[in-house]
Order: sequence, then C-alpha cells, then structure tokens
Amino acid sequence: MILSVENGRFAYSGGRTVLKDICFEAGSGDLVAILGPNGAGKTTLLRCIMGFLRWESGRSLLDGRDIRSLHTRELWRHIAYVPQARSVVAAYTALEMVLLGRSSRFGLFAQPGQADISKARAVMKELGIEKLADKKCAEVSGGELQMILIAKALAAEPEILILDEPESNLDFKNQLLIMDTLSRLTAEGMTVVFNTHYPSHALQRAGKAFLLSAGGESLFGSTHQVVTEENIQRAFGVKAVIGEIETPGSIVRDVLPLQVAEAGGSMTAGSGGRPRCLAIVSIISARNDMAAKVNALLHRYNRYIIGRMGMPYPDGGVYMITVTFDAPEAEIRALSAALNLLPGVDVKATYATDAFRKEEKQ
Amino acid sequence: MRARRTGTLSAGAKILLILFPIAAALLALGIGRMTVPPKEFFHAVANLFGGRYDVSLQTEKVLWTFRLPRVLLALLVGAGLSVAGCAFQSLFSNPLATPDTLGVASGASFGAALGILMGLGMAGIQLTALVFGAAAVALTYAAGSGRGRGMNTMVLAGIMIGSLFTALVSLVKFTADAESQLPEITYFLMGSLNGRGFSTLALGAPPIIIGIIVLWLLRWRMNLLPLSDDEARASGTNITALRAVTVICATAITASCVSMCGQVGWVGLLVPHACRMKFGSNHLSLLPASVCVGAGFMVIVDTVARSVTASEIPISVLTAIIGAPFFIVLMRRTGGWQL
Repeated sequence: MILSVENGRFAYSGGRTVLKDICFEAGSGDLVAILGPNGAGKTTLLRCIMGFLRWESGRSLLDGRDIRSLHTRELWRHIAYVPQARSVVAAYTALEMVLLGRSSRFGLFAQPGQADISKARAVMKELGIEKLADKKCAEVSGGELQMILIAKALAAEPEILILDEPESNLDFKNQLLIMDTLSRLTAEGMTVVFNTHYPSHALQRAGKAFLLSAGGESLFGSTHQVVTEENIQRAFGVKAVIGEIETPGSIVRDVLPLQVAEAGGSMTAGSGGRPRCLAIVSIISARNDMAAKVNALLHRYNRYIIGRMGMPYPDGGVYMITVTFDAPEAEIRALSAALNLLPGVDVKATYATDAFRKEEKQ
Repeated sequence: MRARRTGTLSAGAKILLILFPIAAALLALGIGRMTVPPKEFFHAVANLFGGRYDVSLQTEKVLWTFRLPRVLLALLVGAGLSVAGCAFQSLFSNPLATPDTLGVASGASFGAALGILMGLGMAGIQLTALVFGAAAVALTYAAGSGRGRGMNTMVLAGIMIGSLFTALVSLVKFTADAESQLPEITYFLMGSLNGRGFSTLALGAPPIIIGIIVLWLLRWRMNLLPLSDDEARASGTNITALRAVTVICATAITASCVSMCGQVGWVGLLVPHACRMKFGSNHLSLLPASVCVGAGFMVIVDTVARSVTASEIPISVLTAIIGAPFFIVLMRRTGGWQL
C-alpha cells in the first residue's frame, strides 16, 4: 500500500502559507521521519496527509486513490494514527483504550466482540504491555501510555501507521523501546511515518526523511541525503556535525548540535561523495527471518556487485555475507544504511580510499 | 460487581441493575397515603390478566389511574435525565456537565411558564416547553459553534443562553397573576410528578424513549466522545455526526422531561457520576447502569415525596437531600473518578 502526496499546499485561513509544494511517497516497509523546527508545520503536515485538514491544492493518495474519495471507515482500516499523548482520556483502562482502536472494524451500532478483544490482547502482548490491561490510563507512566496508544492504533490492523512525536518527553529507555517497535513494524512490512524532534532518530532508523524548514521549504528523499550538516543548518538554524560512532556490530550515525547559526537558504539533497568507489560490505546476522530482506536489498544493487560470498555458520548460529561493490559512494552508503535499519543485522562497510584515483587525475 | 476490563457488566451486576427499578416500581405502587397490602396488590395485578379476585374499586382506581402513570413517569424521567447527563458529561469531557448544560432545561422551563401564563392546558404546556427547549439549544449552537472553536465555547454559550432563559422565566413570573398563575408556575418549575396521567405520557414519553434507544444503540461509539477530534476521527467514525446525534437525543430527552414535570435537578448529575465510580467510564456498562439506577432512584425519590408528609415535597428538594449524602459517601469510598 502506497501513501503519497502530490503538490500539497496548505495555508491556515487568512494566514501565511505553511506548506507548499509538498511531495511525498511512502510504500510498504518504509520508515519515514518528518523533521523540522517548532512551528514549521510538522503536525499540520500529518493532519493534511490524513485529510483532517483540506489541502488548498494538491491531494493525498492511497494507492493512487484520493483519500477524500474513500469512506472514512475504509480509510481508517488502512491508516492508523497516534496523536501526541498530551490529552488522554484517563478514565478508560488500557484494554478499553486499545479496544477503541478496533472501532473501524465493526458497524456503527455494533459492540466489540470476542474476536476484537482477543486481537486487542494479542497486540498488547506483542508490545509487551499485556500486564497493563486493567490499569487506568491515568495510572501508567508516559512510556507505557505511548505504548498503549500505539497498541490502540495497531489494533485496527493498519498497513500504514502515522505517529506524531511518539518519543517526545520520554526517557532514553522508553525512546529506544518506541523506536525499536517502529523498526520492527517496518521490517514486518508496515509503512510508518513519524514526526520527530530528533535528527539522530531519523539517521539511525528511517530510510526516508522529510525535512521542513521554518520558511515553508521542504525536502524529501533518502535520509542520508536529506539529513546533512548543511540542511540541518538551513532548516533549524543550528550548526551541527554528523559523526559516525563505531560499535562492535555497526557504524551508527549521530548528530551533534554545536551552536545556533543563521537559518535559511534552500535545502538540497547531499551529493553523497565520490561518483565511483570500491567498497566491501560485510553482514553478520543471527536472524533467519531477515535473510530474505537482506538478499532482496542486495538484489536491488546487483549491477554494482563485483564479488559476493555468503555462508551460514551453524555452529555460531549466524550467517555471514560479504559483498564487494564498484558503485557511486552514495549508493553504497544508502545500501549500508538500509541494511543497518533491519533489526538484528550487523553491517559495516569498508571503502577503498585510493581506488580510481588515477582515473580522476586523467 | 465492579465492571470487568472490557467494559461489560458481570451477570450479577446485570441482574441487580434490572431488578432495582422493577422492585422500586412495585413498592411504589403499594406505598402512599393509602397503603395497598401485598395480597390485595397481587390480586389487583391478577385481575388485569383476567383474574377474578375481590378488589375494591377504590384500590383499583388508586393503583391504575393515579399511581401507575406516575410510577411510569418517574421511571422514564429518571432514566432519561441520567442518560442525558451521562451523554453531556462525555461529550464535553466535563464532570460538571448536566442535562441543562446547553440551556435546554432553562428553555423548556420558559416554554412551560409561558404556556401556563397563556392559560394553555397540560398538552399545550408540554408543547411550548418542547419547542422552547429545542430553540434554546439551537441558539446555543448558533452562538457557540464555528470553525476552530472547541467544545468549551459551546459550554460557555450554553451557560449564557441558559441564564438568558432563566431571566425570561423571571419576567414571565413577574407578569403572571400572583393569585393563580404565579404559584402554578413556581410549583411546576420546582418539579412535581403529581397529577400527570396517561395523556401526559402519550406526548412526553416518545421523545424520551426514542432518545434513550438511539443512545443505547450508539453506546460503544459514545466512548469516542471524550477523545480529541483527531483521535476520534482516526477511529473511523464521523465524530461530528456522532456529536450532533448525541446532542439531539439528550436535548429531546431533557426537554421532554421538563415539559412533563418541571425541573428535576441533580438526577442528571448524581446518577451518572455514581455509576462512573461504580462501573467505570465505558459506556457499554455505564449507559445501561445509568438507565437502571436513574429510573429506580427517581421512583424512590418520588415515592418519598408523596408519602412522607401530608402535602407533597417538591421533587428537586428531595433529589438533593437524598442524593447528596449518598453521593458523598460513594465518592469517599471509591476515590472518585476522572474524565
């Protein structure tokens, strides 16, 4: 299922244009992060995408069909929304709240049946919050509440999940729990779109990023091309460095804000390095369920592959793949980033710094 | 008998809730200035179904002409006001909301007072009450609705329109004949179920019954009312239509109650609150509980009102006197509730 926006434009009545030339597309297995400074219109963008606000021009499409032409109950069987957890009805128990998410699955005058209750419980179990079932929403912690709201959205069995700042106001651990959940859902084939205040989360988790600047400019594309030092300064007015931290299993990219700087200037997709480059990408994973996804990703880059070796190692309970590429540096970075997003897959790339230097000189 | 997690009532709670209003009604038929002993009462009931017991004409008349319509009225009004109060509290996510929040009761009171002033009969008074109740809500809607305005604006508009109609009621009283009309208006507004027969019910009952049935059918969707706009819409429900239907039903119920027996205060606030404390906020259990408890409570209050002293005690006085202590005890024992 593909969610897309064509040339969206939006202005609040009588006010300045908040969003213009919005183009956007997310398909199955995409995790899209929407970034932007406070007041740039991130929530407005989500509300426009889902049809809560009407685009002034342009439209939102679900598999090519305008979402305005879809019946509400039909639309909300495909899409689920998790708003910011600010105002929550405290009087319901967690299970009641999750069950409310099933509402689009039965008729107007019907009540949730045993199947709905089982589904709600199953979703809660999957998210590790089955123990909260009887607790009132007022009595749980912020992280637990966010999980309940995600469970409520998932209870509708959607193909697309849209979240508004799901990890805001949460501690380290809860942020990780939420982000891990989103990664897992994406790996299972769901489309996930989320607003976030953390560029790091976009870099580490999202394959695609949508960057909004305070001036109403926007840029959409692969995260590693959109979330660059230049674009962060242009959109947020913050001078930042993007660094790489090596862990035993992978290389993690992170953003370190340095100082406030002048915002503005138009955002452009980063070039991503040399036009031609040699690299060895090594992959180790213990997750057999990820093997197919790894192979599918590699298959997309087939024409760049000049050498490949893969072997299972039953003694260690893992399989290992080594692939050698001759490709534009951006492509290799994109592939290793994509592999890195798969849960339980360790990936590192080694780039040959001297290869093709002669050619460049000529 | 606490509500279970999924919001459905346990079997025990169901039986108690159903029996409560029935038991209260049967007792109420037997109690009064003329007590009907159980044996005679059962004989009279048996006679209705073709029995041939010896029951005095007087007893039959008291039972079926005076008490039965009154008990039915109490059941309906109690159930109706409780459901309306419950609906408004959820709609506005406000624990202080009552059936009068949108000015319905004030509007209907004005209509009734106007009817009395014009010397209309009971049917006429009922009609003017219904019309002005609806008019008050329409005015509130016109004043409080609009793009981007929240439910709080609507509540404020309701309070304003309500006080406007309260002032108009005072104006009517001021112009009314102090010898005959003024006391009639005053007594009517204090709330009384006295002297209402089947003819009153014929006009007043349908809006209440239809309103309760519609809200009953929508009881699961009513759980979406307190959610934020976006959240409710994301549940695949047309939240605007749901709110409108809720308001229309609750308004029809309230206006109809006022048109039959004046302003009965407190029931619409006390009963839903008590039910929330005991059964939780899920309308799957809250709505049925409110219907049963409200109906039973009203019958009890009315029975006390007509049988404790020689002259009748106004019903609003009693709902507060009986309801407030009960409510406070319950609140302290359960720790209250939150919306």
